[in-house]
Amino acid sequence: MPNEEHELARERLDRLDRRLRTFCRCSDMLLQIESEQDALQSICEILTEGDEFRLAWIGYCEDSAGRTIRPVAKAGSSLDFLERVENSWGNGPPGLAVRTRRPCWINDISTDPAAAGWAAVATDAGYGSCIALPLIAHDRGGRLIDLGGSLNLYIGERGVFDDRTVDHCADLASCLTHAVAALRGHLAEDLTSGVKSLRASEQRKRAEEALQKAQAELASASRLTMMAQIAASIAHEINQPLTAIVTNGNAASKWLAKNPPNLEEVQASLNRMVLEGHRANEVIESVRAMFKQAPREKSRIDTNDLIREVLTFTTPEIQRHRVMVKTELMEKLPPLLADRIQLQQVMRNLIMNALEAMDAVTDRAPVLTLKSTAHDSESVLITVEDSGTGIEPKDMRRIFDSFFTTKPRGMGMGLAICRSIIESHGGSLSASPSHPHGTVFRVILPTGID
Amino acid sequence: MIPTEPIGSIPRPAELIHGIEAFSAGRISRSDLDVLHHSAIRNTIERFEATGSPIITDGEQGKESFITYPLQGLENLAPDGMPIPFADGHIRHLPRLIGGPFRYRTSADVYLETAQRYAHVPLKQAVISVSALSLLYPQGGLAGYSREDYLSAVVAEQEGEIRRCLQKGAHVVQVDFTEARLSIKLDPTLGLLEGFIDLNNLALERFSAEERKRIGVHTCPGADRVSTHSAEIDYAALLPNLFELNATNFYIQLASERDRPRVLKMIREYAKDEQRIFVGVIDPVDPRIETPEEVRERVLEAAEYIPLERLGTTDDCGFAPFGDDMSRSRDTAFDKIRSRVVGTALAAKALGFE
Repeated sequence: MPNEEHELARERLDRLDRRLRTFCRCSDMLLQIESEQDALQSICEILTEGDEFRLAWIGYCEDSAGRTIRPVAKAGSSLDFLERVENSWGNGPPGLAVRTRRPCWINDISTDPAAAGWAAVATDAGYGSCIALPLIAHDRGGRLIDLGGSLNLYIGERGVFDDRTVDHCADLASCLTHAVAALRGHLAEDLTSGVKSLRASEQRKRAEEALQKAQAELASASRLTMMAQIAASIAHEINQPLTAIVTNGNAASKWLAKNPPNLEEVQASLNRMVLEGHRANEVIESVRAMFKQAPREKSRIDTNDLIREVLTFTTPEIQRHRVMVKTELMEKLPPLLADRIQLQQVMRNLIMNALEAMDAVTDRAPVLTLKSTAHDSESVLITVEDSGTGIEPKDMRRIFDSFFTTKPRGMGMGLAICRSIIESHGGSLSASPSHPHGTVFRVILPTGID
Repeated sequence: MIPTEPIGSIPRPAELIHGIEAFSAGRISRSDLDVLHHSAIRNTIERFEATGSPIITDGEQGKESFITYPLQGLENLAPDGMPIPFADGHIRHLPRLIGGPFRYRTSADVYLETAQRYAHVPLKQAVISVSALSLLYPQGGLAGYSREDYLSAVVAEQEGEIRRCLQKGAHVVQVDFTEARLSIKLDPTLGLLEGFIDLNNLALERFSAEERKRIGVHTCPGADRVSTHSAEIDYAALLPNLFELNATNFYIQLASERDRPRVLKMIREYAKDEQRIFVGVIDPVDPRIETPEEVRERVLEAAEYIPLERLGTTDDCGFAPFGDDMSRSRDTAFDKIRSRVVGTALAAKALGFE
């Protein structure tokens, strides 16, 4: 090969080598860049750092009256060229490239009619040839990505843009398009994922606040309910001793009014009044302790003795209601370990309820039956059964609820308190219809035997 | 009466702009600059009131720009953030966050308080949207400060800012959402716009329905100097999503739209019944001063599409969203505002309002 041809070939190889290195640097940059503007500016700077391209600029189309192509990044020499030449959709290679979506090049700016309007300015700036590449690419599905802009390159020499060079530059423009599209997609994705996370956090926080508020309201409501229950319990439980005090006081008055006064009976009535007064005090303490959940003193209690004691207390009431009492008490039951006063309260409540339940019965004799037996090896069963009108099936499951009552002037606390006491002893209290009439209440209590 | 409100910014007086430059160069003190600020604010409010405006602003005389005012003086920002290119070729750069945590340095209620010293009519206060500030977070992320942490901080700051403005008696608080159309330019799939709407709603949802009656949103293609950044984006892409924002008042650029009836039809279709629409009847970018009669005709045109009880008027944009913008004069701005006020009143009379 003659030396001149050899020299030309070497120059061409060197140029290709430099272009390859430049384009590799561009690709490397595009893979790492984090913002669109940085990508556009960096690519212009890399392209003009070598000695091949004198000017590189990127422009986007404006849908303005002048239909301009607005430079958004530029680097190289004679940058004032861009201010002196108007680039629009209808003027020059950039406009043609954007409109046709094909590279548009001029190999000799000084003579090509396509550069007629700006050739002198370009030539003054030292540009011999130029190329405009549309910022387009195709995604994996073959869909066109069109950024609506162009990458524009200016070279000092003439006749540079052969098919291979045009293809190289078009590939670079395609890479740039992909990079920009990816960056724009990331911005939306990053923001969306950030907003979603934030919204989820906000929802969690609101749910927690709502839960705390509900808990606080519940606690407040519970305190109010408990206060109401305490007041109602005390009022209910104190009612019986007070009634007994009044009854015994009346009895004492009657015995005193007799001629001669029956002082023995008066003394007995006064003694009972004192006992009931003490009991009232104990009941108040018991109810208070129950709600405070404070431990009460427990003692060994004989079940049958307990039943007999309560029957004694309630004898005046039993007589007033004219009710027959039957007892079936199993002997030698194991003792209970319990609070005597509280169990007396329960038994008294159940007996008083039974007496009142039989008030409306007129076609048969009212009978109150109390039984005690072993429930199993570790517990005792006490039943209180009446022959009254019974409890409506629809009310049966609510009779132990606080403030539920079927009595016109009832407070609805008695059975709730009873159940609370029995359960605090580890036992249970239930009710069921009795046959053929009335209701039976079942008290199961654990024995005190370990 | 048809309500009429400004967007917010008025060109700063030359002496204030030069004073800011002098302060930056260390030639004058902070107190000297404050004197210039107060003088500009007082003069702006006096001139605003002289136009007959029922609702005014302080002309944003104290703000560096409508977007960066909360950030002035923060040390965890770099100046080379996202670029906003404008049609005439100039570019504004948003700051870039370089570290957390993020807090506002100045919130807008400070400006409101200052303006209240001089105003005799109700004041409106503009605040920047959360979505605009979301663009400060670098795409590559920040070690030790996640995007979620940043967005959470921005939402909290805006909530506090709006709440204080309302408590201090702002007639309305307007959220400047001018990046709406720009987001479509950046992401034609609308993913970014939807993210912006969702993010702004995260802040707006913290207010009650009653409070939101005094909250509004402004959108426009972003005026700066004599140019815009996204005027070529069709409203058809924006409006269906815009009205999903949980605000009551919408201030929409319209005077400079090529096909106003088309946009008005879209507003009628997509705006919700409880939303009031303030249509732009003045173009701040156009140096010509519209006549009151022209404004009247624009209002009457809008009234064919928007029920009167939900119609208001405004300017397409502020007259100087960026503080260093000297492309328009204060005289031009106030003359245009006067035309809007008078023209709106003429339209009200023509429509049978007292």
